[in-house]
Amino acid sequence: MNKTININLAGIIFHLDEVAYDKFKTYLYHVKTALGKEESGEEIIADVEARIAEIFHLRMKENGSQVVGLSDVEFIIETLGQPEAFVDESDNEEPKTSSKDTRRFFRNPDEKVIGGVCSGIGAYFDIDPVWIRVLFLILLFFTGIGFITYVILWAAIPEAKTTAQKLQMRGEAVNLNNIEKLFTKVEDYTSTEKIKTGVNSFVSFIVNGIGSIFSFVFKFIGVFLAIIGAFIAFILIVALLGIFGSTWNLEGFNFINLNGYIYGLDGAQAIFGSGWRLLALRVGTLLTLLMPLFALVVFLAKIFGRELTNSKLLSFSGIASFIVGLILIFFSAGSLATDFRERSTETNQITLSGSSFDITADILEDDQGFLFDVEDELLHIENVRFNIEATRSSTASLELKHAASGRNHSEARQRAQSFDYPTAQEGEELRLSEYFTVPKESLYRGQDLKVTLRLPVGATVYLDESIENIMYDIQNVQDIYDGDMLGHLWKMTPEGLSCSDCSTIEYYNAEELEENIEDNLEEMEDNIERKLEELELELKKLKDR
Amino acid sequence: MKIENTKAQMRKGVLEYCILGILSKGDAYASDIITRLKSAELIVVEGTLYPLLTRLKNADLLEYRWEESNAGPPRKYYSLSAQGRAFQLELKDTWENLNNAVEQLTSTPS
Repeated sequence: MNKTININLAGIIFHLDEVAYDKFKTYLYHVKTALGKEESGEEIIADVEARIAEIFHLRMKENGSQVVGLSDVEFIIETLGQPEAFVDESDNEEPKTSSKDTRRFFRNPDEKVIGGVCSGIGAYFDIDPVWIRVLFLILLFFTGIGFITYVILWAAIPEAKTTAQKLQMRGEAVNLNNIEKLFTKVEDYTSTEKIKTGVNSFVSFIVNGIGSIFSFVFKFIGVFLAIIGAFIAFILIVALLGIFGSTWNLEGFNFINLNGYIYGLDGAQAIFGSGWRLLALRVGTLLTLLMPLFALVVFLAKIFGRELTNSKLLSFSGIASFIVGLILIFFSAGSLATDFRERSTETNQITLSGSSFDITADILEDDQGFLFDVEDELLHIENVRFNIEATRSSTASLELKHAASGRNHSEARQRAQSFDYPTAQEGEELRLSEYFTVPKESLYRGQDLKVTLRLPVGATVYLDESIENIMYDIQNVQDIYDGDMLGHLWKMTPEGLSCSDCSTIEYYNAEELEENIEDNLEEMEDNIERKLEELELELKKLKDR
Repeated sequence: MKIENTKAQMRKGVLEYCILGILSKGDAYASDIITRLKSAELIVVEGTLYPLLTRLKNADLLEYRWEESNAGPPRKYYSLSAQGRAFQLELKDTWENLNNAVEQLTSTPS
């Protein structure tokens, strides 16, 4: 049930719905104030009202409607013009350049390539649209952000249809007035209602006083929150689109690199397989994406002044698809979690010959620090940790500890057994690898590999730079960090691994060195001063004599 | 200096002459005049016109009579007064002179 308000225009009765009445009342009020200065303002207003009556009458007839709605009032404002248009400028020496918010964003249908977004932005900022197009193209090629931004703007910015809008498109003054208006409209309405219903004028005076302070604060916070909200929505869109894009390995869309662990099709396929889970993830992210997308479009459309006829439908379907999307993602991830329930470890021992080793590692050529890589039906997993320990046995050995998870114990064990880790010993050279491979079907289920080189006392080992990525906290007598151990020769002593070719200076860190030098300098200065004092004393003694 | 302002002023200057010109060909009511000016892209919104019509009427250049309409309230039918007709003819001369002058000044010399 909607309330309607009856008004009398030039002797004809019209029924306006509440929203339309509010807007119409403000409009007519502003027109009247604008015409207030004219000598025969009353007569002009009568003419204007008659014209409005005529237009309403025609539109009611055309639509077969009884009630004047918001769109009718907006049509009136569009045809008759903003209140400023009524002021006869030829009377004034200085024509008032029509007020603050004349310049608005419109899509420019006259110079469009796709949707007229770029030429509209160009018109707004007085820039050749070519530059805007170039910018969008660059963004499009490097990331998908250019594409999504274009789509959002296309949906949110109204097209300049009338001549007035085309003029406004190139108007002047850039400001956030429109955002503010969004909130003032609501405030105005409630405060006038308050005054009307206020029985006690004193109480309502105080209430209004406090209310106006609060409404100012709230308006400010509101604008602030709205901007933050829009920003968050945009980030969310980019993030979700990134996840979605990376499950397809879409060029330009896989800009999400989850700490190097999931990237592109490889990561998603390695974890989700290629069955319903991956499908659920794809559909889920896409559906979740719609809510922030719609929210941003509705918000921007309000700022840019575009009438969205179905914004209620948009917000409903946005929220609905968000919920469905989240459920899909949770299901997909939840069923994934059960695959990690049990864990199993397999250990292999390889006996090595000789007592001096030169350790190198195979590095993945296309190494970008990712965990996964699918190649030739094999999943390459870079999750190897290499350590060196002492052994009481007289021969050196290599221990390979495979671990993997699974839905149940036997599944976990099967996974742990299906590792392939290539190692080779050629003379002194012991070749390890940065990665191990598992069959593609066994997916990534927490597989990791601990490689331990067990050395008897007296054995030596040279650590090549190539093993940098797999070293894991190798204990040594000198307490040197892993990275600094590379490129040196190490010997197993009863106390532990010890460096045999490190020069002592390397153990000092820069700070310690500096302190040492400073201490030495101070000492030298003290010595010189003391010597000087002694010499002066002797000089005095000599003079006294 | 904004080009839009200059354009608006130019349009405003010839607007009065055009209204008188339209009415010299026959009587018309406000929305008629508006439609023609709009299609010629001389005005953008109707609001501009109402104060102008009233001003011309107050200067005794225009007369009006009420006429019943089947599309809403009675309409004002505007026509040129004798004074208005003389005014229009004088403006016509001025316009032609101006037009010539501008043409001569801005066209490329042969």
